[in-house]
Amino acid sequence: MNYRDVFGEILADHHESPRNWGSLPGCTRVEQGYNPLCGDKVAISLLVEKDTVGNERLSRCTFEGEGCSICMASASIMSEMIQGKSLVDVRSLIEGFREKMQGADSVTALPTEDSGEDITALYGVKRFPVRIKCALLPWTTLKKGLEAVHAE
Amino acid sequence: MNSLVRKDFPILSRIIEGKPLCYLDNASTSQKPRKVVDVISRFYLETNANVHRGVYHLSQEATDAFESVRGKVRRFLGAPSEREVIFTKGTTDAINLVATSFGEMAILEGDVIAVTRMEHHANFVPWQQLAKRKKARFEIIELTNDWRLDPKEVDRVLGLKPKILAVTLMSNVTGVTNPVASLAARFKMAGATILVDAAQGIGHSEVKIDHLGPIDFLAFSAHKMCGPTGVGVLWGREGLLEKMPPYQLGGNMISHVGDFESEWNELPHKFEAGTPDIASVIGLGAAIDYIETHGRTRIEEYEQSITDYVLSKLILIPGVRILGPTDPHHRAPIFSVAIEGVHAHDLATYLDMEGISVRAGHHCAHPLMFRLGLPATCRASFSFYNTFDEADVLVKALSLAPDFFARRKR
Repeated sequence: MNYRDVFGEILADHHESPRNWGSLPGCTRVEQGYNPLCGDKVAISLLVEKDTVGNERLSRCTFEGEGCSICMASASIMSEMIQGKSLVDVRSLIEGFREKMQGADSVTALPTEDSGEDITALYGVKRFPVRIKCALLPWTTLKKGLEAVHAE
Repeated sequence: MNSLVRKDFPILSRIIEGKPLCYLDNASTSQKPRKVVDVISRFYLETNANVHRGVYHLSQEATDAFESVRGKVRRFLGAPSEREVIFTKGTTDAINLVATSFGEMAILEGDVIAVTRMEHHANFVPWQQLAKRKKARFEIIELTNDWRLDPKEVDRVLGLKPKILAVTLMSNVTGVTNPVASLAARFKMAGATILVDAAQGIGHSEVKIDHLGPIDFLAFSAHKMCGPTGVGVLWGREGLLEKMPPYQLGGNMISHVGDFESEWNELPHKFEAGTPDIASVIGLGAAIDYIETHGRTRIEEYEQSITDYVLSKLILIPGVRILGPTDPHHRAPIFSVAIEGVHAHDLATYLDMEGISVRAGHHCAHPLMFRLGLPATCRASFSFYNTFDEADVLVKALSLAPDFFARRKR
């Protein structure tokens, strides 16, 4: 048995080859997230711009961090999903993911094959309840970042 | 010895996720034998009444049961007087009591307060903040590469003539046992008041005041020595405790309350405001009885053999780094490990899948973790009821871990 058998190819792949890794010069906001209990750290860089019809969009998002495989894979999957989306859509993705992870839904089986939607791989983390906060850290950090962009 | 004692701990025969529980998080809290749990439940069912208050028979019975534990603790520690035994909520509460009451009384601007790099937050933050409040100097005794107190650092800090030395008997991260008796002798000569954090030490070794040199305070918790959570002990020299102002104010700690002035109760009650955790104190008494039945020397010998065994195996596993001395002398069976490229939480989840309960994180020792250069480690800590078979389960799982976490070759 190995990591891939338990957590699936998708999480392993995002952990080993994180997407959108790095800093983002000229970005609107860098938000730091930290879990003092386990030491997981993530920094999310956000570039928010208005599109032609005046809606706010997340034109670009990158992340850097130091943490467990679940936290880092979650950040990588998130960064792919939210790239270029309107802030309204990003907020509803954040809320949807939080509900999925903290809601009363039964534990989803882990997809071992690529289902086309990498985020479904994270739902399997519910099998390890203490690790849910690892998966959530990048998303709560993103939420804080967007709130800060609006407060500025 | 473990075959004799394991039946006393029903929890040890649990099956977790299809595997027999291998409980290796004793440094966080020990398991409780049936005898301790029975004594606590019998107190609530048969003897429950408040202590030090009622004139009725039952209250006297509860008070006698409660106060008899004070005598038991005194004998357990080899302390001169029961007046020096103060019941607290735990080690943290006991150290805060000293840092607040003694600290506020004794520390002046410019004084030096010394701790070590291996202290738990409970024996670090109260002193750090006291130093801040008083504009005192806060000095940290650094470690050698073998995770022990650096003798040069001890000399350096000794030269600063600290007013307080707060030192742990045993590190909860590396398992290192400190030579408290010789440290205490030297720091006492330099004028220091010495507090020993025995939270970790109490579960692994015989702790006698006389063997620890001229120390002034000692703190420990019941829950790390087979007792209940929520109760601990502060032992302090009577002369110092007499001079110190009360820590918390309220019931039981007073002798007289006027409209504008109050007078304090005598020791140890001066430091025990409010209704104590009576049942847990009585549970601590049962835990002392339990440990003494098995004998602290036998427990120490057994744990030393586990330490020798686990270390001899761990050092052979490629890729596993032991964050603690690999020399089995003067160390406890507490093993913090790291595997290159694997986060401690991933490792702990993997071990949990094998039925092995370990702690992953910073172990309430940020200053030490900073020195290790790691955000988190995985810690396996043994007690006298753990078996050599369990040691083998851990060693096998750790030796397979690098394969489990192997990255895909590209």
